[in-house]
Amino acid sequence: MTRGLTLFVLCALWGGPAGAQTAAVTVTQSGGASSESLVSVGTQVRALMEPAKDFRLNAEVAWGDRSRGDLNTDAFGTAYPYAGKTQVMEAWAEYVLPRGRGLRAIKVGRYRTPFGISAASDHAYLGFLRPPLIRYGTYWALSNGYFEHGIDVVVGVPRAALEVSVGRSSDVGDALRADGIDTVARAEGVLGSLVVGASYINTSPYLRRSFVKGRARFGGVDARWMRGGVQMRGEWLAGRPFDGTTTTGGYVDAIVHTPRMGPVTGLVRLERLDYDTDPRFALHSYRYGAGLRVRVWQRLAASVGLIHQGGQVTQRRATALDLGLTLTLRKNITGGP
Amino acid sequence: MQVSPSATARYFVVGLGLALCAVGATPTHANGQDLVGTVRAAGQLAKNVVVWLDVPRAARSEPPPTIVMDQRNLRFVPHVLAVPVGTVVEMPNSDRVFHNVFSFHDGKVFDLGLYPVGTSKTVTFDKPGLSRIFCNIHPDMGAYVVAVDSDVYAVSDGRGRFVMASVGEGSYTYHAWRPGADTVTGTLVVAPGRPAEIALP
Repeated sequence: MTRGLTLFVLCALWGGPAGAQTAAVTVTQSGGASSESLVSVGTQVRALMEPAKDFRLNAEVAWGDRSRGDLNTDAFGTAYPYAGKTQVMEAWAEYVLPRGRGLRAIKVGRYRTPFGISAASDHAYLGFLRPPLIRYGTYWALSNGYFEHGIDVVVGVPRAALEVSVGRSSDVGDALRADGIDTVARAEGVLGSLVVGASYINTSPYLRRSFVKGRARFGGVDARWMRGGVQMRGEWLAGRPFDGTTTTGGYVDAIVHTPRMGPVTGLVRLERLDYDTDPRFALHSYRYGAGLRVRVWQRLAASVGLIHQGGQVTQRRATALDLGLTLTLRKNITGGP
Repeated sequence: MQVSPSATARYFVVGLGLALCAVGATPTHANGQDLVGTVRAAGQLAKNVVVWLDVPRAARSEPPPTIVMDQRNLRFVPHVLAVPVGTVVEMPNSDRVFHNVFSFHDGKVFDLGLYPVGTSKTVTFDKPGLSRIFCNIHPDMGAYVVAVDSDVYAVSDGRGRFVMASVGEGSYTYHAWRPGADTVTGTLVVAPGRPAEIALP
């Protein structure tokens, strides 16, 4: 299904979408280096198309690779599958009903698991914003590399909506869930510039069944607020990665880009992760981070991130510095200038 | 005093005639034909160039219509928008992700905050100038709104062409702006059947 939908999107773009309202292809090329003896490169190609009003197609393909220096690090992890091969990330078709009706959107295909704060801009790590500890699959929580093959329905009104996804897991990265049916539900409400959400997932553990029993179940709450160039975010989850264990954790961060900062965007983040099991295998970690992203040129951005961490995270070093460069190109094929 | 329907009709016709005479006596652009032209920058046909003429604005009894700058597929549509001063621009979020539209630099300064899919906010561009529009969540999104103190304006299309409605014969002062360049001012002579050509450095 994934290949079929990807091919469909690419063929539709290639064939000249004469009737399309909008169509665009973006290419993001990134490269980074970390003081944790790691160098990475990644390429992400996204095709977005609206062949008819309210009907959308989206395909995303990524390739990434990294040096094999210090593999006990999560720098540049999770955002891309750094497997040295090209992989389809997303491929979906979506119908968004016009405003004023109850049912708002229905999506079919391969898409990111809609748990917590989920947006494309949150997935690619470019030296600025490492994915939070709760989104690394190998830390006994939920991976940003989780994908669903299924159907996703959003009902409600713009300021209060419920999203339900039913699908089969089809993940990328280091944490690959066992095959099975996943159910994800998310409620979201908007009050002024404050967005609050609550999510729940019932899925398969990412460890082999011979090691674990039961299902993975997590619940989470999140909030976002933005005004005057300051974006505050927070996310907390709790649940069990499999029977007999629990994981809790979360983060708060602030991303700041005010007029006086010009091309510079700043970030500070605090986070915490606790995995409780047999004391020999338990994981209790914290991480503090700060970063800057500077728009060097229209499509070129440089990033620097500094983290300090403690507890039983897998890294050997307590402090790490990440650097990154990102070039983004976009070609609008139809739909205006 | 009673006024018969026929008298009312006569007064209406006479009043209409006087009004038309008054309008005809005022040198405005409303008497002309559509002006078709092309813009070149460094010799190449240039898209997204805003061109406007120095013409006294007609008095309006109604506010200008609301114009839409959409957010769709992680971009602003259109990329360059020209509006007369006083125009209300509606900025709906037609994407599946949140956006935060803001303008911090020149022109109209505003921050619309975070708003979700299917909702819309508006901004009134109440003074002339260039506003650079961004989304704080998606740093690759950007657009321009040029508010002009004129009712005669246009934005060139992908082939460098523009059309201005109802421009009479004569000599006009024009202004032209394109992304990444300063505003250029010059003189444009409008004559019947002669397309306008504007050359930018």
